[in-house]
Order: sequence, then C-alpha cells, then structure tokens
Amino acid sequence: MVRIDTPYPDVWVIVPAFNEASVITDVLADIRAVLPNVVCVDDGSQDGTGDAAARAGAHLVRHPVNLGQGAAIQTGVEYARSRPGATVFVTFDADGQHRIKDVVAMIDRLATEDVDLIIGTRFGGGAVSHTPPVKRFVLRAAAWLSPRSRALGLTDAHNGLRVFNRKVADELDITMNGMSHASEIITLAGEKHWRVAEEPVEILYTDYSKSKGQPLINGVNIVFDGLLRGRMPR
Amino acid sequence: MNWIQLLLIAAVITLLVYLLRSRRSARAKAWVKVGYLLVAVAAVCAILRPDDTTLLANKLGVARGADLLEYALVIAFLFTTLSTYLRFKDLELRYAQLARAVALEGAHAPEQSQ
Repeated sequence: MVRIDTPYPDVWVIVPAFNEASVITDVLADIRAVLPNVVCVDDGSQDGTGDAAARAGAHLVRHPVNLGQGAAIQTGVEYARSRPGATVFVTFDADGQHRIKDVVAMIDRLATEDVDLIIGTRFGGGAVSHTPPVKRFVLRAAAWLSPRSRALGLTDAHNGLRVFNRKVADELDITMNGMSHASEIITLAGEKHWRVAEEPVEILYTDYSKSKGQPLINGVNIVFDGLLRGRMPR
Repeated sequence: MNWIQLLLIAAVITLLVYLLRSRRSARAKAWVKVGYLLVAVAAVCAILRPDDTTLLANKLGVARGADLLEYALVIAFLFTTLSTYLRFKDLELRYAQLARAVALEGAHAPEQSQ
C-alpha cells in the first residue's frame, strides 16, 4: 500500500443519513480527521443534511426520495466500490453513536486477520455497554433467534458499525430497503461464505441518538421481512 | 331466471372479458387466464343453480353452500393479499434501484480531493 498523506487512502467510510443536519457536520469532521474518504448518502432528507455533508468535505450521493437505511448503505457501497483504489469499506451511522477508535481497531484487524467482514457488537467481552436493559434483551434475543447469527457466533445482529473488504463490497446486494438490512447482511454472509468476526465496540447513547433509534416494535417488521425474503425475486 | 341472476352473470362476463384482455407476459399469464375462465364458469353455474353449491358443500362436509362459498372467498382473499404484498415489495425494489441509479448519476465529489 502506498502511503500518500494519510495512513488510510484505501478506506472508504459510508455514512447513510436521513435528516441529521444538526449533527452531520461534527460526525463527518470526526471521521475525516482520521479517514479522509467519506461518502455520505443523503436519503432524501428535508433539512439540508446533504448540503452540510458536502460542506464538511464528504462525497455526496443524494437519493431523490427517501428509501430507507438499507437502500442508502447499498448506494454508498456501490459508489465507494467504483472509486479507484478502494479496498476497505466501513458503514458508520450518521447520528454519532460510533467511535472512530473502534473503526480504526476494526480496520487494523481486517488487515491482519483472515476475515472478510467485521461487525461491531455491544456485547463483547471488554466493551463497556450502556445499552438500556430492555433494548439489550431484545437485541440479544434477536441475535439468538436467528439461526444464521447463531451459526456465525454473532451476539449483536443490529450494530451499524461494520468493516469489510472488497469481496464483500462487490457481492453485497441489499434488497431490504428499510431496517431489515442488518439481518439481510448476516443472511448474505451465510450464503456467500464470507468469513465474519465480531469486534466489541462502545455505543454512545446520547439523547440525540436515542431519539433517532428505531423503536423496538420494529423488530416485528424485521422478523417478517426475513421470513419473506427467500420468496422474493432477486 | 330472475333479475339478480342476470345482473350477476353480466358482471362475471364483464370481469372475464376485462381480465382476459390484459396481455402482459403472455405465456406466464396463460394459466392464470385458464383459471379465470374456470372460475367464471363455476360462478355462472352457482348463479343459475344455487342449490348445487349446497350439494357440493355436503359432499365436502360443509352444511350450507353459502358457507362453502365463504370459505373459498376467505382463501382467495388471503392469496390475493399476499401476492399483492409481494408485488409491492418487488416494485419497491425496482423503485429503489431506479432512485439509486439517479443518485449515483448525480454524485458530487468534494472540490479538493486529498
């Protein structure tokens, strides 16, 4: 790898954002201080998120209409994988709940270990967990109930922080536009035989990120989408 | 023949003509059209000889023909709902692909690249 003026010229961070104007500037600045290649997918925001992202120096891809986070991630990955020299891809939530420190650790791990995809987990050994108890229970139950997650030894099925290599980026094909994409990625990992690992990460539950989080009842939708996925034409 | 029978038969025939006229993906739809035809014939039979539905119902272990029709209706309704749901999901996916293509076309890179 040629070292230009950043240690991570081949890393692309994908930030799906929907109406995050109040925080997006800071989140993107934090990321770009370490990882300069950032593509923000503005998922049809009405509050100027896209303009703020462009001003913050990110590449900007704008959905003409709101499609959902899964669709935004797919768009971001398609953009990033078309950029010359892109080999490592990161998905990062726009609400500022992830830490750059964790991303860097995951990137380094992807480089040294024999894995294709590393998913953040709130429930790893060393990580401090500030997850509210009910949410904690539901997330663990979701991971345990999914045969695929269990087979892969995953403990946190719906963490927005992921780091993956070119193989995963090329093969990624998210069809669940909404919030069911997290389980879909796990399903794809099983189907495409990606080597998956988990990394304990800390989630910063600020009042803002809590207010933007998905309600737990949405878990019902996720289970239902998962059941029907196999019957969909691809 | 009373008036209601005439009206119902007219409705069945109109619906049949309307459905058979749609010609998207001819081959895949052919069996569906045969199905429509059979349903239409059964409907006309049931309208002209309502008591025959009770005869059939008794053979199947159902007391009244009206009940049998209702069961069939419930099943048909569920089937339609599910196929509509899947069709919407499919459309949603195409819609997302279209929007994605538009978005990637208009992608905007920052002024000074590192």
